[in-house]
Amino acid sequence: MKFKNLIVYWRTILRVAEITLRHQWNDSFILFAILVQPMLIAILALFMLRGSGENYAMFVVVGSGLTGLWSSLLFISGNSINGERWQGTLESLVAAPIPFEVIIFGKNLANVVQSLLSMSTSYLLAALLFGYTLQMSAPFLFTASVFLSIFAFISFGLIIAPLFIMYRGIQQWQNAMEFPVYILAGFLFPIALLPNWTTPVSYILPPYWAARALHETSTGEGDLQKILLAWGMMLIFSIVDLFISSKLFRKMLYKARVDATLETV
Amino acid sequence: MNIITKNLRLFWQGTVLSYVALFAWFRPVTYAASKILMPLAQIIFFTFLGSYASGGTDVDFYVIGNAIQITAVSGIFGVTMSIGGDRWAGTLPYLFGTPANRMMLFFGRAFMHIIDGAFGVVIALGWGALLFGVDFSHTDFSALGLTIIVTTTSTCGLGLLMGCLSLITANVMFVNNTVYFLLLIFSGANIAIDTLPNWMQAFSKALPLTRGIASARTLIAGGSFADVAPLLVSEIGIGIAYGILGYFLFTWFELHAKRKGTLETV
Amino acid sequence: MNTIEVKNLRRIYRATTGVIRRKVKEVEAVKDVSFDIKEGELFGLLGPNGAGKTTTVKVLATLLIPDAGEVRVKGLDIVKDANEVRKQIGFIFGGERGLYWRLSAIDNLRYFASLYHVDPEVSKKRIPELLELVGLKGRGDERVQGYSRGMKQRLHVARTLLHDPDILFLDEPTIGLDPVGAREFREVIRNLQSEKKTILLTTHYMFEADSLCERVAVIDKGEIVALDTPSALKKHVRDLSVVEIETFGIDPKVIDDIRKLPFVDALSTREQDHRQLLLVQTERGAEAVPDLIASLEGMRIGRVTVREPTLEDAYVRLVGGKA
Ligand SMILES: Nc1ncnc2c1ncn2[C@@H]1O[C@H](COP(=O)(O)OP(=O)(O)OP(=O)(O)O)[C@@H](O)[C@H]1O
Ligand SMILES: [Mg+2]
Repeated sequence: MKFKNLIVYWRTILRVAEITLRHQWNDSFILFAILVQPMLIAILALFMLRGSGENYAMFVVVGSGLTGLWSSLLFISGNSINGERWQGTLESLVAAPIPFEVIIFGKNLANVVQSLLSMSTSYLLAALLFGYTLQMSAPFLFTASVFLSIFAFISFGLIIAPLFIMYRGIQQWQNAMEFPVYILAGFLFPIALLPNWTTPVSYILPPYWAARALHETSTGEGDLQKILLAWGMMLIFSIVDLFISSKLFRKMLYKARVDATLETV
Repeated sequence: MNIITKNLRLFWQGTVLSYVALFAWFRPVTYAASKILMPLAQIIFFTFLGSYASGGTDVDFYVIGNAIQITAVSGIFGVTMSIGGDRWAGTLPYLFGTPANRMMLFFGRAFMHIIDGAFGVVIALGWGALLFGVDFSHTDFSALGLTIIVTTTSTCGLGLLMGCLSLITANVMFVNNTVYFLLLIFSGANIAIDTLPNWMQAFSKALPLTRGIASARTLIAGGSFADVAPLLVSEIGIGIAYGILGYFLFTWFELHAKRKGTLETV
Repeated sequence: MNTIEVKNLRRIYRATTGVIRRKVKEVEAVKDVSFDIKEGELFGLLGPNGAGKTTTVKVLATLLIPDAGEVRVKGLDIVKDANEVRKQIGFIFGGERGLYWRLSAIDNLRYFASLYHVDPEVSKKRIPELLELVGLKGRGDERVQGYSRGMKQRLHVARTLLHDPDILFLDEPTIGLDPVGAREFREVIRNLQSEKKTILLTTHYMFEADSLCERVAVIDKGEIVALDTPSALKKHVRDLSVVEIETFGIDPKVIDDIRKLPFVDALSTREQDHRQLLLVQTERGAEAVPDLIASLEGMRIGRVTVREPTLEDAYVRLVGGKA
């Protein structure tokens, strides 16, 4: 997808996101993925890290929010194309005179923004239930990091969705892909604990850079240089992801029209 | 054919069918992924998180706790799918139209998951030994084996109850996932129970898995069967209680659905 | 230039069967189909189940890639210029699927409007108009979930008219509607026709094609077996009469015997509860009745009538009397 498209289609993207939110809001599995699961992980982590002091509360809040972000991207965005197919709406979407990835961009936007809600619930939880006073060390940089992270996650999701459709073999590993990213992206503990050989894998995961930016700006552990590095990496990955995804989408749609799988699997 | 063989056959058919149905949408590779990789990822995640929290001590605590917790994948998800699956497949009306013994029908659906769950725990403990160096040299293996079977069975008991809930509510996955994560918090897999607030401790004690995990930890640390026997008795008792509760809910559901004509809808 | 040009279209489905030993089974859904549709024409595509109608429509709607042949919409190639084609066309596949059931009708329409770049100002005006056009006025705020089948199908019509396309593909749009609903639906189609839209309609109902379409193509086993105006098609059977014989519990073997009689051109049956209606096409008209009755000896026979052929009879003859 060219950047131009994002701007031309912003109105469509927002509409798609709005409709997606409204459509999903009473689906309880989605509610679980975005609210309950991260909240339970937050409770768990807050208990486990209780001995480590107040500083960790902020770390846990942000980290468990990130787990929610990744799970919803993996499961909700990853299955969204199939969902449309089961509803019989995929054909109408594909036949609309608009790049299909714009529609999926809008859907991912809805999911990612939705998931940020879970970060707020964890925040409230930590503050009210555990009585931590949570201090955001660099609110402006944090907000900027949030926006960049949203973009990075959406773009990453744009690669996952067509891959899951084109290669069912990959989707079979969906369940097994949830926790490894929690681990490798350093959502709730630093990747320095992991063996050295895993570090390069972390570096190529956009969620890792998002986690770094968000953790560093919220706990105040990173200097500006480190934060800028994380931002830069997120931007680069987003652009690369968007570029790859437009190729994948084109290939996926052509294949679906050859194999007649827009309507049935 | 006498009544016992008849019912045994029914039990067995329920078992096999629920497994075949599972495999119909779970391909072998997915199954392997969920049996081998998912437990591994979960153990690694919580063990690292735990040792990060405790400063590197107590690795065994987290490895063993999460390995036993793996039984809940079969016990909760597997069993609910077997029971709830009939509703999605629309076969429930036919099932309730048969004269089959409901007890056999119902418990047959849990049996294969007990074996499956126990198998998962063994794999998970294997990962623990391999990756985290959990030391089994002082372990009474027959007692540990019994612990695994008992814990898996009692977790399946809770699964049966949840499966029936899934017949009543439309949101099986929601119920399942919530229970699974609640177990992660309350079973003692990741948080030492005596550090929880009192009301949470009380809740922990009413759940399956809690005593099973405690018993496995004791045995691997070199405890004897006599040390854990009381734990295991209560563990199986709790599981049976949940299973029976589930069975009553199941028969109630059948009656209710037939009365109201809601077999196919919620 | 014709608005729609289909030349030697061919489309095969490949389905893999078997879990362990995978076999690829090929179904030649469309073998060799050619036709043109003029601007503003209402063109009918008729054929038995599995003839390849839906496949043809899906190729035209840019949802399937043809295996061979050339398909153009307003001169645009449906593979290379798919996106341009999409701006010009609207389509409906009969049935209830393809809508967001958890959303209201208006939300569904607003959503698709934005996918077609309809200006929000315009769609604000057009959505109520369309709801009125398809008879859903006042119900637009309700969730689609609670709609009847017919209402959903009407909503599909509104959906596909949002961007005011010049060309419409309607695949069995009246399927599953009650007679009154279907009649109202045909009224909607006539309105569209009067707006000079180019329409391709597929249907199983002959009277529908007869009363709506300017030209009709009959397709069977993936090939066009006739293409003409309804009245010209009827000429195929002009010299014939149709003898309708009501029977009760007839033996299929007897039907085959009758079909082999020298003066029988085509024979079809229609099940009605416990009765079977035999429709015999013959040049001999009323004269054939005694012979036919004779071959049904010993069987219960009800009403016997002789009538003029309809488009349906022409169709039956064209597709080999198996309808
Ligand atoms: N996705 C598919 N995969 C494999 N075969 C298919 C597929 N879709 C259609 N077919 C086959 O292609 C042939 C033509 O189907 P098509 O749907 O075009 O017929 P149709 O004329 O629309 O029939 P109907 O009147 O029943 O709607 C049939 O034999 C059908 O079984
Ligand atoms: Mg069709």
